[in-house]
Amino acid sequence: MTSGCPKSNMASYDMSLKVIMEPLPLTEPVLLILLSLAGQPRHGYSILKDVEQMSDGRVVLSTGTLYGALRRLLDDDWIEPFKEQDNSRGRQAYRLTARGRRNLQAEASRLKHLARLANLRMVKEA
Amino acid sequence: MLRLYRCLLLLYPADHRVRFGKEMVAVFQDVHAEATAKKKIARIFFCLRETTGLLAGALQEHLRAMGATPVWLPIPTRRLFMRSEFRFPKATAVLMTIILAGVVMAIEKGEGIVASLSASPHFHFFPGVMLMLGVVYAAGVIGWAILFAMRRSGVHRLETSADQK
Repeated sequence: MTSGCPKSNMASYDMSLKVIMEPLPLTEPVLLILLSLAGQPRHGYSILKDVEQMSDGRVVLSTGTLYGALRRLLDDDWIEPFKEQDNSRGRQAYRLTARGRRNLQAEASRLKHLARLANLRMVKEA
Repeated sequence: MLRLYRCLLLLYPADHRVRFGKEMVAVFQDVHAEATAKKKIARIFFCLRETTGLLAGALQEHLRAMGATPVWLPIPTRRLFMRSEFRFPKATAVLMTIILAGVVMAIEKGEGIVASLSASPHFHFFPGVMLMLGVVYAAGVIGWAILFAMRRSGVHRLETSADQK
């Protein structure tokens, strides 16, 4: 079953999963929200626009969905409020915590691993 | 729309409203201002997306407040947030409607002919055979229309490109 996939890579992947023990995989909207916050702190509207842009208009979040996800991420300590100089319009910015960044990296590794596996298998099939 | 949004926000648990209410309204105002400049269909989708998002969000927050583990709602609200890459050609819908109308008219005409022939004392026809012919004809036309639509949508190209790889 594991032919075509280097054993060392598989072992390191399992290891990283054991160390992290976080609820992966993430849904696409949550992953995009985290990616949006990976570069810089952002407020709600900026996250919505960035998610839409990153997905080429395929993922368009509603404010209800966005703030449901933000609340979960805040409660799980993946993101934290970020104090901006100008928050006069009730805009609150958020940024990734160390934990959130670590989990995002773990998810990126997981996806990279899957993509590599898919490539290997598809090349083999062809 | 803002008034409706504020009303729907009341469905959320109080702690969520206190924590995020002002912020959600501010973001909604920004998104709404942008949506008003778009076409009517985009505005309708915007309203649907926001309404279902708030309803689903309020339900999830209440479940969370009751101590339930987060659940995914059985209603497919994600369809409103995530757009499929698949594009169905608009012309196909028009074409299929015309074909369907043609099939219905042909069946009605056939039934009329069968009725007039069976009423004639000189000619006895089998209405069952005519009906069967009509059904077979309709099935053939619908099958052709589906194949035509798939070809127009480019599904056959996916298979071709997969073969090439």
